[in-house]
Amino acid sequence: MAGVTLEPTPVSPTPPAPPAQGGCGVRARSGPWVYSAPAILSLATWVYVPMVATGVASLLDWDLITPARYVGVANYRRLLADHDFHRAIWQTGWYVLMMLPLATVVPLALAITLWLRPGRVSSLYRALLFLPVVLAPAANAVSWQFVLNPLQGITNTVLADLGLPGPGWLNDPSWAPVVIVAMTTGKIIGLNTLLFSASLSAIDQSTIEAARVDGATSWEIVRHVIAAQLIRPVALLGLLCVLLAGQWVFTNVALVTQGGPNGATDNVYYRLYTYAFTFFDTGTAAAAAVVITVGVAAGYVLVRLAIGRVRHADAPTAG
Amino acid sequence: MMGAERGRFRFGLAATVVAVALGLTVSACGGSSSGTAAGGSGPVTIRFMSYNYGTPCCGAGTQQLIDEFEKANPDIRIRPEAVAAADVLTKLRTEIAAGSSPDVVQLGWSKAGEARATLPLVPVQDIPTTTEWQTGIDGIYPNILKAVRNGTTGKVDIMPFSVSVPILYYNADIFRAAGLDPDRPPTTLAEVKTAASAITRTGKQGVYVAVADSGKSDYLTQSVMNSTGGGAVNASGAVTVDSPRSIAGLNAIRDLVVSGLQPKVSATDAQAAFAGGKIGMMVYTTAAMSAFEKSAKGTFDLRTTAFPSFDGSKARPTYSGAGLAVFGKDRRRQQAAWKFIRFLTSPQGFTILTKTIGYLPLRPAIVSDPAYLGTYFQQNRHLLPSLSQLNDVTPYTYFPGNHANQAVVALQDEAVTPIVLQGADAASALRATATKIRSLAR
Repeated sequence: MAGVTLEPTPVSPTPPAPPAQGGCGVRARSGPWVYSAPAILSLATWVYVPMVATGVASLLDWDLITPARYVGVANYRRLLADHDFHRAIWQTGWYVLMMLPLATVVPLALAITLWLRPGRVSSLYRALLFLPVVLAPAANAVSWQFVLNPLQGITNTVLADLGLPGPGWLNDPSWAPVVIVAMTTGKIIGLNTLLFSASLSAIDQSTIEAARVDGATSWEIVRHVIAAQLIRPVALLGLLCVLLAGQWVFTNVALVTQGGPNGATDNVYYRLYTYAFTFFDTGTAAAAAVVITVGVAAGYVLVRLAIGRVRHADAPTAG
Repeated sequence: MMGAERGRFRFGLAATVVAVALGLTVSACGGSSSGTAAGGSGPVTIRFMSYNYGTPCCGAGTQQLIDEFEKANPDIRIRPEAVAAADVLTKLRTEIAAGSSPDVVQLGWSKAGEARATLPLVPVQDIPTTTEWQTGIDGIYPNILKAVRNGTTGKVDIMPFSVSVPILYYNADIFRAAGLDPDRPPTTLAEVKTAASAITRTGKQGVYVAVADSGKSDYLTQSVMNSTGGGAVNASGAVTVDSPRSIAGLNAIRDLVVSGLQPKVSATDAQAAFAGGKIGMMVYTTAAMSAFEKSAKGTFDLRTTAFPSFDGSKARPTYSGAGLAVFGKDRRRQQAAWKFIRFLTSPQGFTILTKTIGYLPLRPAIVSDPAYLGTYFQQNRHLLPSLSQLNDVTPYTYFPGNHANQAVVALQDEAVTPIVLQGADAASALRATATKIRSLAR
C-alpha cells in the first residue's frame, strides 16, 4: 500500500469581497451608521447637546424666566470665591475617603467569607446584604430618621438605658456626615458584595488547588491567591467610588439633612442642585457643573495613573 | 431573499425605527395642555398646585374644597397637583420655564417675595371687576388684607388663604406633674423659662421655640425679632437681622438652648416629641393644630395660648402659611381661577378649611355664626387664642432684591440653625449672615 502522506491541506484564505459598487456600496457603508443612529441621536440629545448648553449657560446670568445676560467668566469667579462651594469640595473628598474602604475592602471580605462557606446560610446572608439595595431611598431615609430621633428614637433610648448620652445624630455637625455615610454604605456594601461574588466565581480553581498542594494555609490562599486575582474589580470599584461617592450620598443628603447642619453634610452635587433649583442661579449652577466635570475627569486620570503604577510595580521583571 | 433586497429591507427597517423613535421623542417633548383653548365655550379645566393636596393631614380637606367648588360650578374642573411645601417655588419656576404654568398656586408667604420679583404673577385683584373684588373680600380681616398687600403696587396680588400664626402649645398633664397651673399658662418669655425650668426637673423637656423651621421659612424668626423691637427688614427696606434688638430676640432663644430648657433638636424632631408627650411647651404654627390634636386625643390634655411677649414688649407675631397666586395665561382661565379663589376664601370655603385642616378662618363673622363655625368653636377652643392675634398681626417682611428666598435660606441655615442646634453666638452668626444677605440684595 502506498504510503499516505498526511499534509495539511493548504486553506486559501477567503479573498475579501470586492468593494460593492454603486448604490449597494453606499448602503453597506452607511449601514452601521444607520443602526447606530438611535443611540448616537439619543446620546447627542440627552448628553452632548446638554453638555454644550451647560457650558454656554455657565457664561450667563439667568434665572430660567427673565432674559439671560452674558457675563463672561463672572460665574466662575463667584463660584471659586464661594466659601460654601469650597466647603462642599472638602466635604465631597471626605465622603470619598470614608466610603472607599466601605466600597472595596469590606464587601471584598464579605464576598470571600461567603464564598468560602457555600450553603444555605451563605445564600441567606448574601440576600440580607443585598436587601438595602432594593429598599426605596425615601422610605429608607425616613426610617433612619425615626431610628435616630434624638428624643424618642430607638438608638438613643437604648443608649439612655445603658446610661450613655445619645448625641443628636442628624443635628450635630460632627455626627451628621458619619450618619450619611452609614446610611449610604448599606446599599454600596450590598451591591459591591454581589459584584465581588460574581468575580469570585471566575477564579481559576486550579490555582487554589496548587496552593493547597504547596502547603499554603487558608489565610495565605485568601491573601495571595484569591485576593490577588480580584485586584481588577477592587480597582474598578475603588475608581467608581472616587468618581461617584458624592452622587451616592446625594439622595440621603437631599432627603434627610438638606446639606446641614451648618453645611456639614453638603457636597458638590447637592450644592449644584441648590444653586440651580433652590436659588435658580442657573449660571452659577452651570459653572459648578463644568468645574465638577473637570474635577471628576482629573480624578479619573489620577486614579488610572496610580493603578498603572501599581501594576507596573507588581509586574515580574525579566531575567 | 436576495442580498440586495435584504439590504434594502434592513435599511428600510432601520429607517422606520429611527423615524418612530424620533416621532416618539418629539411627541414626548411636546408637552400637554389642560383645559379648553382660549375663548372656548366648553367646561374649562384649571390646574391647582397645592402643598396641602395629597398629604395625610390636609389632603382630604383640600379634596372636599375642590369637590364642593366643582359641584357649585359644573363649567369649571379643577386638576389638583401635589407638591412639597419647600419645593413650591422650584416646581413653579421650572413649569413656567417649560411654558406650562399652573393656574392657581398655594404659595407660601416666605416664597412670595421672590415670586413677585421674578415670576409672571397675575395680581389677583386685577382679575375681577372692582365690584366683584369688593364683594369677594368683604368680611375678611382688614388687617390681613393690609398685611399681604404688595408694598410696591399697593394691591392684593396674592389672596390670603391658609394663614396661620405662631402660638404656644402646651401639655396640661406635664404642667400638673411639674406643679404648674395649666389654667394660667405663661404669657411672657420669662414665664415660659420659669415653667420650662419646672418641667425639666420632672425629667421632661421644657420648651421648644421652632425658629429653625423645617420648611426653611423665617416666619417664627421674624416673630421673635419683631417681639424684641427688631425685625428682618425695616420700613425703608434695609436688612436689620443684625440690629441689637433683632440679636436680642435670638439671644433669648439661645438662652433657652444653652440653659438646657430647650433640646438641641430640629423642629421636625421636636414636633414628634411634643406629639409624643415628651416636651412640655412648643411655640409653633397653628398649621400643626390638626396633627397635634390627633396625637393628643386620649393621650394628653393639649392646650394652647397666645404667642408670648418678650421683655415686657408687646408680642408681635407675623403670619405663615400661604396665599393663592394666579399664573393662568388667558383671560378665561384667569376668570375661572378667580371663581375658584373666591370660593376657597368664602365663608363656606373657610368653614371647610378650618374644620378639616385647622387653618384660621379669615372671616371673623363666621366664627360665631352657627351656620358656619359657631358650633365648631364651641367644642374646639384651641384656635381661639390665635384668632385674637389676627387683628393686630405684624406683616411678614421680604428681603430686598431677586434673591429673597436665598436670603431666607441663608438666615435660617447659617444663623438660626447654629444658634438653635449648637447654641452658637447669636451676634456673630447674625452679623455674618446679614453681610451675605446684603450682598445678595445687590
